[in-house]
Amino acid sequence: MDLTDIGASIRIAFTYFTILYLTGLGGLFSERSGIVNIGLEGLMVIGTVSGAAGAAIFAGPAPEGMGLGAGGVVLGLLFGALCGALFASVHAVATINFRVDHIVSGVVINLVAIGLARFLSFVFFEQATQSDPGGPHLARLDIPGLSDIPWGLGNAFQNLSPVVLFAAVLVFPVSFALYRTRWGLRLRSAGENPEATRSLGVAVAPLQWQGVLLSGALAGLSGAFLSVEVVLNWREGQTLGLGFIALAALILSNWDPRRLLVAAFLFGFAQAIPLRLDDAPLISLLPPQFINMIPYVVTIVAIAGFVAKVRPPAAAGRAYEGAGGT
Amino acid sequence: MSTGGATLPAPRALPPWLESAVGQGLALLAAFAIAVSAGALIIILYGENPLSVYSAMLSFAFKDVTSVGTVLSIATPLIFAALAVSVCFKGGLFNIGVEGQFLVGMVTASWAALTFDFLPGLLHLAAVLLFACFGGMVYAAVPGILKVTTGAHEVVTTIMMNGIAISIVAYALNGPLRFTKAPPGQNVDLRTDIFEPSALVPDLGHVFGVGGSAHLSWLFPIAIVASAIVWFLFRRLRLGYEARVVGSSAGSARAGGIAIGGVQIKLFLISGALAGLTGMQQVLVERGALVQNYEAQLGFTGIAVAFLGQNNPIGIVFAAVLWAILSRGETALQLGTNLPREFVIILQGILIFSVVVVYQVAKRRLARRELQRAGAEVGLRDTATPEDEALQEA
Amino acid sequence: MSDERGAGRESAPPLVVMEHVTKRFPGVVANDDVSLELRPGEVHALIGENGAGKSTLMRILYGMYPASEGRILLGGEEISISSPRVALQHGIGMVHQHFVLVDPFTVTENVILGDEGSAILDMETAQQKVADLAQTYGFQVRPSALIEDLSVGEEQRVEILKALYRGVEVLILDEPTAVLTPSEAKDLFTNLRRLRDDGKAIVFISHKLDEVLAIADRITVLRRGKVVGETTPADASKAKLAEMMVGRPVLFRLEQPDVEIGEPILEVEGLLGEGKLNGIGFEVRTREILGVAGVEGNGQKELAEALIGLRKPAAGTVRLAGTDITGWPVADIRNAGVAYIPEDRHEQGLVLNMTLWENAVLGREDDPPFSGKTGFLFIDRIKEMARRLVKLFDVRTRSINVAASTLSGGNQQKLVLARELDTSPKLLIASQPTRGLDVGAIEFVWRQILDQKKEGRGVLLISAELDEIYALSDRIVTIYEGRITGEYAPDARPEEIGVGMLGAADTAEAS
Repeated sequence: MDLTDIGASIRIAFTYFTILYLTGLGGLFSERSGIVNIGLEGLMVIGTVSGAAGAAIFAGPAPEGMGLGAGGVVLGLLFGALCGALFASVHAVATINFRVDHIVSGVVINLVAIGLARFLSFVFFEQATQSDPGGPHLARLDIPGLSDIPWGLGNAFQNLSPVVLFAAVLVFPVSFALYRTRWGLRLRSAGENPEATRSLGVAVAPLQWQGVLLSGALAGLSGAFLSVEVVLNWREGQTLGLGFIALAALILSNWDPRRLLVAAFLFGFAQAIPLRLDDAPLISLLPPQFINMIPYVVTIVAIAGFVAKVRPPAAAGRAYEGAGGT
Repeated sequence: MSTGGATLPAPRALPPWLESAVGQGLALLAAFAIAVSAGALIIILYGENPLSVYSAMLSFAFKDVTSVGTVLSIATPLIFAALAVSVCFKGGLFNIGVEGQFLVGMVTASWAALTFDFLPGLLHLAAVLLFACFGGMVYAAVPGILKVTTGAHEVVTTIMMNGIAISIVAYALNGPLRFTKAPPGQNVDLRTDIFEPSALVPDLGHVFGVGGSAHLSWLFPIAIVASAIVWFLFRRLRLGYEARVVGSSAGSARAGGIAIGGVQIKLFLISGALAGLTGMQQVLVERGALVQNYEAQLGFTGIAVAFLGQNNPIGIVFAAVLWAILSRGETALQLGTNLPREFVIILQGILIFSVVVVYQVAKRRLARRELQRAGAEVGLRDTATPEDEALQEA
Repeated sequence: MSDERGAGRESAPPLVVMEHVTKRFPGVVANDDVSLELRPGEVHALIGENGAGKSTLMRILYGMYPASEGRILLGGEEISISSPRVALQHGIGMVHQHFVLVDPFTVTENVILGDEGSAILDMETAQQKVADLAQTYGFQVRPSALIEDLSVGEEQRVEILKALYRGVEVLILDEPTAVLTPSEAKDLFTNLRRLRDDGKAIVFISHKLDEVLAIADRITVLRRGKVVGETTPADASKAKLAEMMVGRPVLFRLEQPDVEIGEPILEVEGLLGEGKLNGIGFEVRTREILGVAGVEGNGQKELAEALIGLRKPAAGTVRLAGTDITGWPVADIRNAGVAYIPEDRHEQGLVLNMTLWENAVLGREDDPPFSGKTGFLFIDRIKEMARRLVKLFDVRTRSINVAASTLSGGNQQKLVLARELDTSPKLLIASQPTRGLDVGAIEFVWRQILDQKKEGRGVLLISAELDEIYALSDRIVTIYEGRITGEYAPDARPEEIGVGMLGAADTAEAS
């Protein structure tokens, strides 16, 4: 593998990073508020189908689409986020208002998402498992300066979707909101000790609702990015378990948005390996199916190796009995 | 204990087992009613008549013996998958990896079917089924051991194992198990060689006049027996008892001297064995080979069926049949209405959600009644418990 | 004494009046037509047995429960307190028995939570405010410290600061001394008097009569949800208060069985573990009850768990009847003859959603009468055993087929006791065995523990209640920071034992 390839590999890693980071941040908001969300994958699935539909509607050529151009694509992405949030409200109702076990509800979210996506696909595209390829997307960017790095490394910073940059800078507002604002303090306290939060007159349920809705919006946006900006159309099963890998990255980041940035990139790189290793000398001797296993194996090893060293929000996963009351 | 004015009259009492059975039944009915009404709403939005849609679905499922047989054969793999989920769930474990375990079970069973073709008759089949269980067990042991030794949560590891399993099947079909005897001149999809008939599960349907297209085989009664065994495990065996203690209160289990890790690994093994049988309906009954476009997602559907059957082995059998009726309804929709077939998936989704929510609500109400009764019979209780506070909120 | 009391503000109009308050939980009346007045500048003690309804009454005042009947007046006007937020707005604050603090947050973050001022946090100003407040009232604690690094006494100060930060006029303290050493309690009282002199009304919930007599200006006694009397320390004595609380003269001592103490049954040497056990050593003999006294959180829980095998000690030995059982798994230690009454019966004793008979066999499910070598349970025999135990220990239930969650706390504890004692152990480890129980149940549990001596068993009694230690023990040791700091005869004075509870090293410095 020469250096040109490394640059290209990093660029692919950036794409996966974006998916994992957006989704992981979604999980972070939910779990920091005390609601475990293993439905991220399902929320992403809804984001993929509705984002692709949104892009087709707002940015697609007339007569079917509105032909709004780049603005239309953005609206499409936002539509994916909106649908993700709407679907996440099911998880919120179940866990916050009805106190259903968080894992049970999350599993059901994932199950239902597959069927719902087909149904929505049928409604939007009149076919159940994919949309027309080559949908509208945003213009690609080269990052000034970085894209000129020699030895092919600059490759990594060329031809990127603007959403990648958006995801990367998201670490600043998210960290600020979480650690420097009233809302962040309250959200975190709800996830650590909801009794304390409530005993000071702060209602827990609305905070948790906000956390879950944000998780839906971010996972939905991530899914929309995947279908609109990466694959350029919707296909059933295109999320490939990335929602779960995002969850693993979240665990390894110890629920910290800054460390999640690193974890999401490392996992993104692991995702990029199978795509780039085909022509690497030694490894290409392996059957390709084994190379495809690498991201999953990396995730298992990472979780098994580090899980003892992290500390989840103390109240995450607990059905907080007072949440419905205030 | 005399308590003066501090007691309330005791609510009338049914025997405890009956009350909980009635309660669960009512909860299920309520959930079903909610799902059916929500479905009706969607049907109306589509400009169809809910009554005729539902009756079309039902009558299609029961239009003749072959149709009923088809429902049962659709239910068969779901029973195995849901039992696999429930075995772990009882012990407080979420085996989301039934999907991967069943895929690996198909690979090991196919290998056995091709390798042990010298075995006579039923012995061949027995070996194949054994290897199906064995493959699922080995594959389920990995997340079990990781959980016990490192604390890695089984939800994350089993999901990753599912991803790996897809590649294992692909590798088997491309490599070691790839067909050797392709029909000449034809473009055949990737698959294994066709198994010897002795490896296949014999047809059962013809005994009842069910057509061969239903694929109703002896696997269905085997699934029923498996559910009886699971019931027996949790009601009559020490392991099942210990598993329930572990699942309900890990602290009490530990203080009672139960080796939690050992119990959890055993549950994963049993679950994996059941998961391994999930794929046999398609491999040993419908296709007679492992094919590339196999029916996936059965493990995930198993989770839904387990919830629907409330993780009760008997409930799971009925839940699987109900699920199968709905699934078969897809065809009815295509034949007789303008609804997309995906409507059924939505209906199934609403159904599981209303089941988990209604069951949760019913559980709380039941707990409340029990507390009321305890309060009334025993008199003033020592102190307001967290349960009281919870009920206060309810 | 009188200068230590509030200025006798009989004349001042009451801050808060609760009138005819009744609170019903399903099947239980927790408060029955209770009326109460709180005046500015007084410490008002609310006393009663566990379950008398003290905490419930105050939770109503703090907006955590709605009252079923009755009303609350603030400054003469009826108000509705629908939530803690409303209570705080009305100047009513409460410090719960179990602290509600966010562990990974700093002191300041905990204090300002819910009352942060601006949408964007200004931590420096907030820290300064918290520091000033702590200075004013004497509740010293570093504003930037993390809660998880604080001692229990410091955590309590944070709780009080939370209320003061919100400018409360009424401060409710639920069993505030339960977690404090005697000297910490003394400091607390000094600070509370300062608050009282500042004109605040303080509600002091307790069942410790000495403390109540020391700090209160007025005392209201609750029994079974009703007010049975109001008095002042001047007009009351400990015995009289106790009788009011319980409704009959209290048995402070039970009759000790007349037995000869025997050979050592449990020998513990140099036990180390997880920073909580720092070289503990002692022995328990047959027909002897050894009481381990100490303020909670000094390694008692870890000690009990190490002895039953739930924790592996880092060093040291544990011998049971001469056999080294150090580091054995729980099941083997139980089989060797150790029974265990955990301090939290919900966490470690019972499986609440399983039936009584299933709970009765827990820990013995692989014993020969209850299951076979092949792993079958003999359910008939288990149920027969469960019925026998329920009868023998007077567990009040309508059936052995109902879930353990349906039992009252006292009956749950009886079930645990019945199961543990039915194994004919050589040694009983009883950790806080009467926590949360009513008087009748306490007496029952005490008698059962005393009866163990007649059976030739040794008992290790770990309790934070000195009364309990005194009532049962043949010998008393004190535990402090994971070490044994003193050994006492059963008639040692509480002051002497208090010295041990504070740690010998501390005492040396003090004297």
